[in-house]
Amino acid sequence: MEQVCQLEKIKCLQGSRLNQGSGKSHVPLALKEELVSASQLEEEELDPDLAPDVEEEEVEEEEENDLGDPAVLSAVRNSQKGLLSSLGIMAPGVLGMSPASLHFLWQTLDHPAPLPSRPALLGARSAACHFGPRLPAPDPALLCSPPASWPLRLSHLTQLHPQHQRILKQQQQQQGRPQSPPAKKWPQQPDSYANLMTQKEKDWVVKVQMVQLQSENPRLDDYYYQEYYQKLEKKQADEELLGRRSRFESLKLVTPYIQKAEVYESVVRIEGSLGQVAVSTCFTPRRAIDAVPHGTQDQETAAASSQRLWVLYRIEKMFLQLLEIEDGQQDGPAQPHDSEQQSSRVEKLFQALKAQGQNNLEAADDGFLQALSVGKGKALVARLLPFLPREQAVSLLLAITRHLPFLVKRDVADQALQMLFQPLSKCIRHLTFRELLQGLQGLVRLPPGCSERPITVVLQNQFGISLLYALLSHGEQLVPLHSSVKEPSSDHSTWTDVVVLTAWEIAQMPTASLAEPLAFPGNLLPLFCHHVDKRLVQKLEARMGCVAMDIRS
Amino acid sequence: MNYMPGTASLIEDIDKKHLVLLRDGRTLIGFLRSIDQFANLVLHQTVERIHVGKKYGDIPRGIFVVRGENVVLLGEIDLEKESDTPLQQVSIEEILEEQRAEQQAKLEAEKLKVQALKDRGLSIPRADTLDEY
Repeated sequence: MEQVCQLEKIKCLQGSRLNQGSGKSHVPLALKEELVSASQLEEEELDPDLAPDVEEEEVEEEEENDLGDPAVLSAVRNSQKGLLSSLGIMAPGVLGMSPASLHFLWQTLDHPAPLPSRPALLGARSAACHFGPRLPAPDPALLCSPPASWPLRLSHLTQLHPQHQRILKQQQQQQGRPQSPPAKKWPQQPDSYANLMTQKEKDWVVKVQMVQLQSENPRLDDYYYQEYYQKLEKKQADEELLGRRSRFESLKLVTPYIQKAEVYESVVRIEGSLGQVAVSTCFTPRRAIDAVPHGTQDQETAAASSQRLWVLYRIEKMFLQLLEIEDGQQDGPAQPHDSEQQSSRVEKLFQALKAQGQNNLEAADDGFLQALSVGKGKALVARLLPFLPREQAVSLLLAITRHLPFLVKRDVADQALQMLFQPLSKCIRHLTFRELLQGLQGLVRLPPGCSERPITVVLQNQFGISLLYALLSHGEQLVPLHSSVKEPSSDHSTWTDVVVLTAWEIAQMPTASLAEPLAFPGNLLPLFCHHVDKRLVQKLEARMGCVAMDIRS
Repeated sequence: MNYMPGTASLIEDIDKKHLVLLRDGRTLIGFLRSIDQFANLVLHQTVERIHVGKKYGDIPRGIFVVRGENVVLLGEIDLEKESDTPLQQVSIEEILEEQRAEQQAKLEAEKLKVQALKDRGLSIPRADTLDEY
């Protein structure tokens, strides 16, 4: 029993010591848990094996200094014993200390002479202590360090009132602890709810906070702290140089380096926490796909929106096929087997492109046109055209030319038709005269029930006008080849009509609404010269001329 | 021990008595037992303190879990200095009565003010009809 009493005294002392040392008041911790937690807290700079010795001597000294009354001292000790007996005997194992170390403690309590085995337990802690000559044969190794630094567990960031700081320093110089009356501590209840949050949980929270703090360039994100820290280090270095004080390292915030995920997850789950944190930054906005129709359209019915989704879905599928084809080409046209596979893929994709929508009652070309109404669909066609055999490419080109006004209208939001121009102009060069005429005729013909020719709309759009010019230019190249063989044929007259009408339309259009073509073929003006009168040519020159000038310059 | 130098963290405040001011104006006093990365708090042996003039009253509330976004500020209470206050503690009934009387007086003063402004042709929107921020 007596041994346990001694043990309890240790714990009480330790409790009081911790309370006093912190500089702020603590609710006194449970006696049992105090010892356990003290043994767990490495950061507390308290070696639990060590502290009781130190404490015992410290407190003795302090009590003598402060209370000066042995009667009070013994009264205090007795009350501790009283407390102790009410708590009963506790097994040493509960306290988290081995029986061996407990034994040491008991021994040192009774005989404050140093024990030979003590230094082994102490490890590296051998800073001098300020507890003075009063203590019988103090082994400096026994009386360790922490008290000196403990009350001033302040980081360089703690800003104390100058008076407060002065007082603290004085106390430090005296006997190391701020003077708070110990008597007040004892009557308070031990805190049996302490450490509900375990160290593991605290570390987890700190870890999460550190992850949130990490950044690629701290000098940018955390400018003020970095600057401050630099100034501080510089100041310390200067002081060290001047020999004013020995260098001690201020702690710096070091965030863990974690590879940032390339994949954007719209919902971030932090393990161990309840709930989700929805992540949405300026680099990764929440909307992932372009499935939201733009506001300029008329109200879509449910059927229309489902149709639109169906088109988007088709486009995605086709894009995957296209990527396969492109990869196939990357590897190189090595074996015939590969090229067969390649061409079959291309054929499949072409069929998919031409495929009908959900209702097979729709007109031909409709699937194709629907795909072209979406920006991504245009990109798809633009990338596919180089792979297509001539006939299929030509059919696509003619389909586009046929429905040019429709496409132009649909392109208002995206403005993406331009990307089709390059591949289409390559395709145009392979057109035969007949095919060319077919396309052009569609543009200049007056549709039934409509007072406007398609060409009018086309001329106002950049893509449209560029395509038109490209077609005309190609026709002009073909004509000498064609006409040299036969006499003026129906094709030839059609051609002339087309050219004249086109010239007339261009002349009609106010210069402002005439769109600027992406490329201006050099043989257009001569073409018009052949077919139309001088006055008209002059007008054309005026309109097209200024345009041409811009391009050439 | 400062786990994260250069930052503010609640880790060191665990198991200490705190005063927490909430966004709705309530003042809670309790032992901070647990936190998380959102600064949600678990307060133990919590007491809601109502202040009216020089008087205050404590309503025991038990355990509180406070969502972090609702906290305006919080600070540790020095247990020694806690009782060292010029304020007078009164019973719960009394403080609630005082609070009610104070709200009443405030409303009436506000009404008079609004009326006076109206008479002069001015109108100021009331704070509680504006958005919270």
